[in-house]
Amino acid sequence: MTTTTDLLGKELTEPERELLAAYERLKSLAARDDLPPCALSNVRKALASLWQATNDLNLQFEQLYDVGV
Amino acid sequence: MAYSEYWNPKNETLPREELQALQLLKLRRMCEWAYATTPFHRRRFEAAGFHPEQLKTLDDIRRIPFMTREEWMESQVQTPLFGDMLATTPTNAIRYHLTSGTTGRTPIRVLDGMKDWDWIGEMWAYGVWGFGVRPEDIVYFAFGYGSFIGFWGAHYGCEKIGALVIPGGAQTSEARVKQIIEMGATTVFSTPTYALHLWQKAREMGVDLAKVSKVNKLILSGEPAGSIPAVKRQLEEAWGAKCGDTAGMTELGTIMIFECSHQPGGTHIIEDHFIEETLNPSTGEPVGYGELAERVVTSFGRGFIPVIRYRTKDMVLKVPASTCTCGRTWDIYEGGIRGRWDDMKLIRGTNVYPRAVEAIIREYPAIDEFQIYIWRKDDLQDEITIRLEIKPGFEADWPELQTRLAKDLANAHEGLRFNIERMEYGQLPHFELKARRLQDTRPVAQY
Repeated sequence: MTTTTDLLGKELTEPERELLAAYERLKSLAARDDLPPCALSNVRKALASLWQATNDLNLQFEQLYDVGV
Repeated sequence: MAYSEYWNPKNETLPREELQALQLLKLRRMCEWAYATTPFHRRRFEAAGFHPEQLKTLDDIRRIPFMTREEWMESQVQTPLFGDMLATTPTNAIRYHLTSGTTGRTPIRVLDGMKDWDWIGEMWAYGVWGFGVRPEDIVYFAFGYGSFIGFWGAHYGCEKIGALVIPGGAQTSEARVKQIIEMGATTVFSTPTYALHLWQKAREMGVDLAKVSKVNKLILSGEPAGSIPAVKRQLEEAWGAKCGDTAGMTELGTIMIFECSHQPGGTHIIEDHFIEETLNPSTGEPVGYGELAERVVTSFGRGFIPVIRYRTKDMVLKVPASTCTCGRTWDIYEGGIRGRWDDMKLIRGTNVYPRAVEAIIREYPAIDEFQIYIWRKDDLQDEITIRLEIKPGFEADWPELQTRLAKDLANAHEGLRFNIERMEYGQLPHFELKARRLQDTRPVAQY
């Protein structure tokens, strides 16, 4: 699914689209069970950081405990 | 390099109608999350006949029952260690912190997941950036780094910004003064009281911080004094630096308000991450701009322990965002946190509830009467002294009691030092009806 607007219904800017795509990509990586600890832990850490950026910009508001973040 | 004045330009200047739409959306989602995952909230929502679907406008927030510190503590007492308040399994946590409780030895315990802990630093980044901290800054933390949350979040917030962070840790004040100068720190984080103490210590060492140090920003937290004009003036003159106030709470994990670099005489509310209601503390009814009120907070951050309509007992006075020239659309608490609606006292950044102190004192059968005496040492440092009388026949207990009681009180208050002073029997007032055992002799703040 591709989201084209933010939580307030505003059209995403190009960098916002990129940020959201990176966030979604990390989320799916964090859900994988075939990553070594060095990869999974750092993916989770990166996802926690990207959650801040995408949440601050009203691109998403969700919880991530199911992927350990 | 030219930087934006705002950490998050999009939301810090968001028109208020849009800000409120965002708050409503987040409120509904947070309530849905709490209802689905947290027995504590589900139980309370159901008892109040509230369901998240009822949130159609922001005014519907009033349908949600208030959450109190007493309920939080009760939940933890009934189900140690964290009560029935966790929204997910403790194995998802990466951080544990605590704050002193309202009664006896039970603290308020909190857990944070990975994104929650990062969010805590994020809120500090909003505030710290807003006051002017930038990647070029050298930031010194005059902070002990214990299990009290204190400046932990600020530390990570400054790292996130890219500033050079110097953790002061457990050092003497002399060593801290030397390090601030040696490292060329430009920003110091401290409680207002300790900032004054550091300045005095420097003076004793023959160091004029305003001339010798490079500090140009003092960021204060932990006590209301950061927004008291007289204290602020004194600190700014002593350090030769701008003073910015912030305030947070362990229950939220972070700050919810900060003073921007325009220094409007108050603190902006981080309104894209919190709803701050201002209510009449007796009736619970909303109070308008310009009137003293109790702040009631809802957080959109930590999902581990949702905090929804939490009654803080903090005394505030809200004014519109337009009071400040910075361009933020976020409302302001003029004068920061002005005090308390209950009997909680803040001593060097630590919450002290007289009834919690009494509960510990009453564990000692040798103690007859007592008094909690709060005072200011050399006009600089807040002190708390327990004055007590030993029951006749128990005099031999005194030396050991003095040591043990100081230790017990400190352990229940994040290591805060309590002075224990023995009075002659009959010297303290003895009460038959409503006891008044608290004496706070500190000067009253003038705004």
